[in-house]
Amino acid sequence: MSVLETPRIYFKGQVSWDPVTTNNYSFNYDETNCTTILPKDLPSIQDDVQKFREDAVTQIVTQGNWDPHGTYRSSFYDAAVCGFDLGMGTSTDDPFSTSAVNFSGMLVDLEPFGAYTSQLFFDSMSFGVPGGYCIQLPRNSRMTARQINFGRNISKHAAIAGIASVVWATTFAKDEGLQINALDSEILSKFNEALKADDVLGLSVRINAYRTIYYDNAALTNGSDAMKKEAQALATKIANGGFQPNPARSHIVGVLGLWRTGEPAHEPGDRALVQVGANPVVGGGAARCNDSSLVIDLSNSVPEIDEALMKQDLGTLSVVAVDDLGTVQQTLGSIPYTSYDRSAYEASAGLVTLPLTPGILPKIASLNLQVNSSQETILREQAFRAIPMPPNFYLDQNVPAEASFQVYQHGVAAGSGVNFQLNQMSADGSTVEKTIPMKTDSRGMAKLSLSGISAGITAYVPSFTPDEVPAPPNGLNTQINTYMYVRVLPADLNIAALPPTWPNVYRYVLSNWNAMAPCMDNWLRLDDPAQIRAYTSILKRLTDPAAFEHFRFMPITRDMSVGMRSLLYLWLDSPSDPEAELPSRVRLLKKGRQPSALAMDEDEPSLSLESMTQTELSRSMRGGVKGN
Amino acid sequence: MICLALNKLTTPDDARALLQTAVGVEFGTLPPYLYALYSIPPNTNADSSLLIRSVALQEMIHMCLACNILNALGGSPEINVQPYPGPLPGDIGPNGTPLTLHLLPFSKEAMSQAMAIEEPENPPDYPVKTTAALGDLAQKAVTIGQFYDALDKFLATLPAASWTANRNQIVDDQFFPGQLFAVNNYADAHRAITQIVSEGEGSSEGTVYNPLDFQDQPAHYFRFGEIFQERVLTKGPGSKLGYAWGPERFAVTWPVAGHVIADPGSHDFSKEPAAAQAAQAACNLAFSSMIIALQRAVIGIEGALGEAVRFMFDLRMAALHAFSVPLNSGQVAGPAFLYVSNIVGGK
Repeated sequence: MSVLETPRIYFKGQVSWDPVTTNNYSFNYDETNCTTILPKDLPSIQDDVQKFREDAVTQIVTQGNWDPHGTYRSSFYDAAVCGFDLGMGTSTDDPFSTSAVNFSGMLVDLEPFGAYTSQLFFDSMSFGVPGGYCIQLPRNSRMTARQINFGRNISKHAAIAGIASVVWATTFAKDEGLQINALDSEILSKFNEALKADDVLGLSVRINAYRTIYYDNAALTNGSDAMKKEAQALATKIANGGFQPNPARSHIVGVLGLWRTGEPAHEPGDRALVQVGANPVVGGGAARCNDSSLVIDLSNSVPEIDEALMKQDLGTLSVVAVDDLGTVQQTLGSIPYTSYDRSAYEASAGLVTLPLTPGILPKIASLNLQVNSSQETILREQAFRAIPMPPNFYLDQNVPAEASFQVYQHGVAAGSGVNFQLNQMSADGSTVEKTIPMKTDSRGMAKLSLSGISAGITAYVPSFTPDEVPAPPNGLNTQINTYMYVRVLPADLNIAALPPTWPNVYRYVLSNWNAMAPCMDNWLRLDDPAQIRAYTSILKRLTDPAAFEHFRFMPITRDMSVGMRSLLYLWLDSPSDPEAELPSRVRLLKKGRQPSALAMDEDEPSLSLESMTQTELSRSMRGGVKGN
Repeated sequence: MICLALNKLTTPDDARALLQTAVGVEFGTLPPYLYALYSIPPNTNADSSLLIRSVALQEMIHMCLACNILNALGGSPEINVQPYPGPLPGDIGPNGTPLTLHLLPFSKEAMSQAMAIEEPENPPDYPVKTTAALGDLAQKAVTIGQFYDALDKFLATLPAASWTANRNQIVDDQFFPGQLFAVNNYADAHRAITQIVSEGEGSSEGTVYNPLDFQDQPAHYFRFGEIFQERVLTKGPGSKLGYAWGPERFAVTWPVAGHVIADPGSHDFSKEPAAAQAAQAACNLAFSSMIIALQRAVIGIEGALGEAVRFMFDLRMAALHAFSVPLNSGQVAGPAFLYVSNIVGGK
């Protein structure tokens, strides 16, 4: 995407993350069959659900289940435009500067046990206010997280996903309701002008989320006494009753720019700068050149070293272009610390612009860009990238589908005949199960047929050279590899064939979310057949597959099978049966439960962060063993 | 226009009394706003719902901030329920006659009342005029903004020792991220007051009025104004602070008048169908439970805010149901926001 060209707008702020975390654990959730794993030895399904909820609260302390009362909602706050670039450097002299940036989405992992597949389902994003300076952006596609950098926060004050940063991106089509009210704003006028070009499809936004904290406490570390104390306090609070979400929060920097034909809709397609070595110094970046400048995206790269978010000082960085042997062919410029320190980072969303010598562009088009510190090479261009479309793919079992990979060479769509290997991997990204040879067509695209025969989750990871092949024990490397995740939801024909009674609907359909997501009690009691029936039309609208991308789609976790939906609809369309349709006894407010019943697990296992593989790091940010 | 009695401020006790009034004012605006919000027929007026809801949420935050200031000054906030129709606590009106607040269903009248509640000292006279009724209310008086301004000035004179840090504060770690913060000293109190006034009324730069709050969003008065005028508040090109109503329309579909009764607290439900009585009882139970939890929250009980929020959702569900249950007349009634004391844990 071309947020690296001008015009572009910078913004910064914070975001809250409030996902239900109970489904991050394999003992709570079956991500293949899309079912909540309820206790089975209790007198009734309602008891099972009640016990499941109570266990989820206990797991706050024993397993690190930090948000059982989450709402899935993620919202920007304190987020505002902080500058722009018209091609002459970062400026703030425009009435649009300081305008609020508004976004609210539902945070859902396609693969809940790991950290690779986060998505934000939303309806619109906006900058400014209607009637004033504003950009209104109806959704084109969900926002997708990629390039997670597990080495971003090296301050030693990090818990759960606090060590990491991640790139979020999406695009907005100009023909789908995108509106800019420029008034006398020069930057907005430039955008309006740029959008008239035929090859401009709309706007793209790229965001970096970093310094994530939990329990509103930036000093927490995994396994610490302070963490246990916070966890116990939350468990006690929930046990005492009420609705007790526990959102995490991150800093964000972002950039809004143009989206041109041929550019990916959901992740950077620029020249990819990937980290180097077994112990990389920085996270990956991206770059784009034009006749006069080279823009390098370091938004996901340079670590923060302390709680004050000071950037690591790597000295002055040099940027060169090298041939395939690594020999420097062109020296392109240097980046002093002041261009990537905290102040610079927040002012221009981690983008650094270097002037280029006139006429040099053709000479570096097929070379590899490289960024060096005074000691070593820290970023090197990966010439070929295969970007999946879509990045996260939901299928119904037995419904074949086709996915595509668009291959880019030095940030430009490749031509025909480019060979690469597609590694079909396990859901945790640790193991290659199968390799598939791929070859691009004239547009640089390669197709992948998906049979959808088996329910479950699979990763597809392209590799062009032996160095890129994801190999155990580290498997998928989010800093090196692009990837697509496919989730095939089970057909559940056996559930569809059940008599459409309330007991069946509750046991085989609604209890899954009634147990997993207590927050739903606030909007719709999934254990109350009368209330469910009263909301029939709304429920059908919200669960309609056609509304899959909508903010309010139900279930938020996008894991209701066709069979489950069929049984639910059959029951909704059937006459009420007062004798069978008794409300359950599940209650969010469970009085009488004593906090002392929540056992502390003093032996909670943990691993050294330094020695953990990417798969372990990914799992540790969800339900797996935590790092310390 | 709301015109609050402003007694002379000389002691911290005076400030605490004023803050308790502020808590009452912020809380007292909620039932009229929520009644209008919940009465909007399903699948209609999405934009209006969004605006009214946004104001209601900010009023809840304002109430919490006022409680935080009061707590920091050693006080104990009280959540007091007032009757509707009735005036806000402390309102003496511009001419000695307070504004009587009604629970009105979504209508121009309800939006007019909301604008009157939020009206700043000198409301700007943008090109599309407000109604005559509102014009009558536009008089110099001690508005909510002036009330807070006087409070702010007095708080600035208090010695640092008057403030107790971390006393019974409600913060944003669960709800309202970025908007709710602890008040530990005067600087925090000033920030809170600035936020409250700015979001309610907008702000002034010298003699020029800015209808946007500190986050560049329309202040409450103007959000209600957009619905009332059925026009988007629009910035005039080339003018830094010049605005007009429209020309872009703000889509509003006014419900049929008379289907929803006003002021259900004045209605005798004893002769209404059992379902309607039950619906009212459910509303009152949820509201009362919320009040109890809220009272615990504002005096610093850990987790009580989450309990209050839970009951607030219960109230919403009960209210939406009540608006669908017919009375004998064929009309419907929403929540009366009545506190019933005979529930477990009552005040």
